[in-house]
Amino acid sequence: MKNGKILQLENGIRSNLLSVIVVMIALVSGILLFSPNIISLNQSILVMAQTDDSISSSFSLSNLVEQDSPYLGDLSAPITIIDFSDFQCHLCARHVKNTEPIINETYIQTGQVALVFKHLPNRGFDSLGAHLAAQCTNDQGKFWQFYKLLYENQQAIDSGWVSKDSLKKFASQISGLEKDQFNTCFDSQTYKESIDNDVKLAHSQGFFDTPSFIVVDSTDGSDPEIIRGAQPFPAFQSVIEKKLDELKK
Amino acid sequence: MISLPLSLKVVFSIPTYVLIAAAVAIPFWILFNAFDQLIFFDPIWIFYLPEDAITGFILTTIITILIGMLVSMNIYVIRHSKLKISRGSLFSGSSLSIISGVCSSCSSVGFLLISTFGSIGIIASNLLTIYQIPLRIISAAILFFALYYIHKRIVQSCVMDFSTNNMKNQISERKSR
Repeated sequence: MKNGKILQLENGIRSNLLSVIVVMIALVSGILLFSPNIISLNQSILVMAQTDDSISSSFSLSNLVEQDSPYLGDLSAPITIIDFSDFQCHLCARHVKNTEPIINETYIQTGQVALVFKHLPNRGFDSLGAHLAAQCTNDQGKFWQFYKLLYENQQAIDSGWVSKDSLKKFASQISGLEKDQFNTCFDSQTYKESIDNDVKLAHSQGFFDTPSFIVVDSTDGSDPEIIRGAQPFPAFQSVIEKKLDELKK
Repeated sequence: MISLPLSLKVVFSIPTYVLIAAAVAIPFWILFNAFDQLIFFDPIWIFYLPEDAITGFILTTIITILIGMLVSMNIYVIRHSKLKISRGSLFSGSSLSIISGVCSSCSSVGFLLISTFGSIGIIASNLLTIYQIPLRIISAAILFFALYYIHKRIVQSCVMDFSTNNMKNQISERKSR
């Protein structure tokens, strides 16, 4: 009798453990299936298949500059990195702090790469304001100072650090920035449509996470290579070097 | 008093349990670090640990090691304990420790999972981002509690019961023979 009970209990234990393991596997697979990284990957595969031609035309460096997108580097650089970022995203700050300075020193300063910034405010309710302000500083050629200032002072998402008043205070710290011109541009949300277009463009490429990058040939925006996330310099280096080698051939 | 390292010694002196622990811990470690953007697979395979991610990485590593150990120790208990296992203790022990192990991922994975749900997702993901480190500390604490619980289960099965009633029963049984 006792042995029978023990056996029954052991069977129960085994089935219980099995169900726990099944739940665990289901949970992990669910996370993998439904996480935005995977969703965006699937979407980007679909979109890339559908819009390969439109990428070529819209991502040429001259086209991007015409769209008033802030850029860094030489307009004759053979390769362009298009950076989709949010000022409230901590991984973007990680990229700006650790990887971008090396890219700048190695490729941008040497005229091999141009960096173009695209707005993808999706991390919080205050993000849009930060991007509107940043684009207004671009009117006066001060975008990259403002960009650096925001990332250096980044705080918790929607904690008020990029409220309207804070953004105006940040702008006032930039030497040579015409305050009235900035305030008029910022208060009237002059670049709202332009930022919305950047967001649409990002979504059309399957980018829902920040930072996301596309590396293209500057002349015609062809041969796009996607880099997702705040990847370290060697990841960028491998893509850039491969493209430079192809261009030399 | 039997110390915690002894229960670990009992389980992990058997290579199978070390392998089970590693087989559980390594995939979780890779998964958590991929979500934390410390491991990348495209365009190249690379592991990267920036300064701002060190605390999170240490906690993630502790959590994954604990998950591996707990799953392995639970399997040991289930395979070796033949007495005094009630359904209640099984639920609170084995299941709780495994489930708490999986739930520890909520701090990093949940952030990505919830961010798919619009503006509610923004609020939720913001909270999870801000409180990511405290959430991971809580996860580690739950796992340590589960480790202590399973340790007790393992050592209890080795300890003889010297309580008065039990001794009396044993003596009377011997006399009756």
